[in-house]
Amino acid sequence: MHPIIRLLNRNLTISLNPGFLVWQVIFPIVYIFVAGFAYTALISSVKFGDISLDYPAFIASGMIGFNIMNSTLVSGIIIWNDRRHGMFEQILVGPFKRSHYILSNVYTIAIVGLISATLITAIGYPLFFKSVHFNLLTIPFLVFASITGSILFGSIASIISTRLKSSEGFNVIINTVFLFFAFVSTAFYPAQGAPQPLATGFYLNPLTYLVDIIRAGIFGTFNEFVMFEMFVLVTVASILFGIAIKLLTKLNL
Amino acid sequence: MSIITRSLFKSYGNLVAVNGIDLDIRGGKVFGFLGPNGAGKSTTIKLLTTLIPPTSGTIQILGLDAIKNPLDVRKRIGVVLQQPSYEPNLSVEKSLEKYGMMWDVDRKTRKDRTDELIDVFELQEIRKKKNEDLSIGQRRRVQVAREFIHDMDLLFLDEPTVGLDPGARRNLLDFLKNKARDGLTIFYTTHVLTEAEYLCDEIAVINKGKILAVDSPEHLKSTFGQEKTIKIHLLDRIEKLPNLLSSIAGCKIDFNAGTDIIIQSSKAEIILSQVLSILIENNIPIEDLSAMPTTLEEIFLKMVKEKNASNN
Repeated sequence: MHPIIRLLNRNLTISLNPGFLVWQVIFPIVYIFVAGFAYTALISSVKFGDISLDYPAFIASGMIGFNIMNSTLVSGIIIWNDRRHGMFEQILVGPFKRSHYILSNVYTIAIVGLISATLITAIGYPLFFKSVHFNLLTIPFLVFASITGSILFGSIASIISTRLKSSEGFNVIINTVFLFFAFVSTAFYPAQGAPQPLATGFYLNPLTYLVDIIRAGIFGTFNEFVMFEMFVLVTVASILFGIAIKLLTKLNL
Repeated sequence: MSIITRSLFKSYGNLVAVNGIDLDIRGGKVFGFLGPNGAGKSTTIKLLTTLIPPTSGTIQILGLDAIKNPLDVRKRIGVVLQQPSYEPNLSVEKSLEKYGMMWDVDRKTRKDRTDELIDVFELQEIRKKKNEDLSIGQRRRVQVAREFIHDMDLLFLDEPTVGLDPGARRNLLDFLKNKARDGLTIFYTTHVLTEAEYLCDEIAVINKGKILAVDSPEHLKSTFGQEKTIKIHLLDRIEKLPNLLSSIAGCKIDFNAGTDIIIQSSKAEIILSQVLSILIENNIPIEDLSAMPTTLEEIFLKMVKEKNASNN
């Protein structure tokens, strides 16, 4: 078996434990079914591009992007956990190259992101199926968003993992990053109608681009702005990925 | 030879961690690597296991150039590093099994070895426990056991007995002795010198990045430890004792609490007969008498102390 496959197997075993999967499902379900229906009284419909969505459909589709971010931030911290528990050095004195380790983490993050996206799409489908505009671009859009989003957020977690040394510092940073990404985005609410500074803040957040692309795929609202968002997402993901790889390659032992 | 290094040198800025080490370690032997904290032991292990590159010098492991072919070297060695390493959310059994998978050990072999290692390292009671729930000593036992899930020709152990209770420690040392008897070469660092004496065929003492001596424990003791210590415990405190023994030359005599006479000399037997004659002549009763050969620990401390003094 190739060394990367062996490390991938190990990474998935430690990442996809029952607790993680339950958390990955329960967390967004609470948002979809509790917040989704509770806010229906306040928000009857949300305008997205040229179409109008009911709020549960809007939040259920947003949760796909949210879950990709959430799961890949968690799996991206494999590096942090490996450093903290001595497995980083242990692997590097084993039959592996550093590039094997880095690539296995990239694949792990992408797989976890895809699994999360699939899970939430399946769970949220009853809520947005009425509005789904299935076309040739739906699946490619979802796969593109899952992989690019996974690489982007996984790279952020990897960068944080390589730079920080104390657990306290790591927890503070990762929670702050999570809060900003999760709530200063269009995952939960639309940018239209929000105060201007907040709406600007939404578009400084890659999660906004990610959920916009996912919604465009699901609801068939493909336009030039979505193209621009895809370009931004790929560019930011590539830059962050490059930085993460460089930091991992130079990580001192 | 399993390990050959020549003029091995590693520095971090101005700090020289390893300063021109030459090693020739034969196969199928246990090689002890001793030194005080910060002597350069762990850096040497990191160099030999290809974890870090040397600043200069050559390293040959199992006939391979470790600087040019690090992956080929790593495929043939096992390493238990000083720091703990574990997968917190895996059970003991699962972590052994997964480690075997990482080393590409086939499913049947790793299952058999997992059962065998759980038995040998007495992990039966904790086999289903998660690593994060184990004590430090239990985790260390799992870490050492885990390394034997795969085949290897050379094993590096960096203070493997830290945190182990005496029973587990002796169990591990005997297991390692058997492995060495079967042909495994072991590079072993420890602070517990009785362990090194019990286990190692050859010992190197390192201080401030330099090797002070390399030899068998017996030779080290005969070369550096010719002095013996004799302790005589008297029944009563005798005030005039220092005066009575002041005529004896060629040794160091201490009087602890006035009831103990401690003689250190390379001619301890001759000195002892002189001391006994004086005690008998003066009717001084003896309660106990013991002779202690110099331990490896004393030799180690003496060597390091002398080296530090000569450097200063």
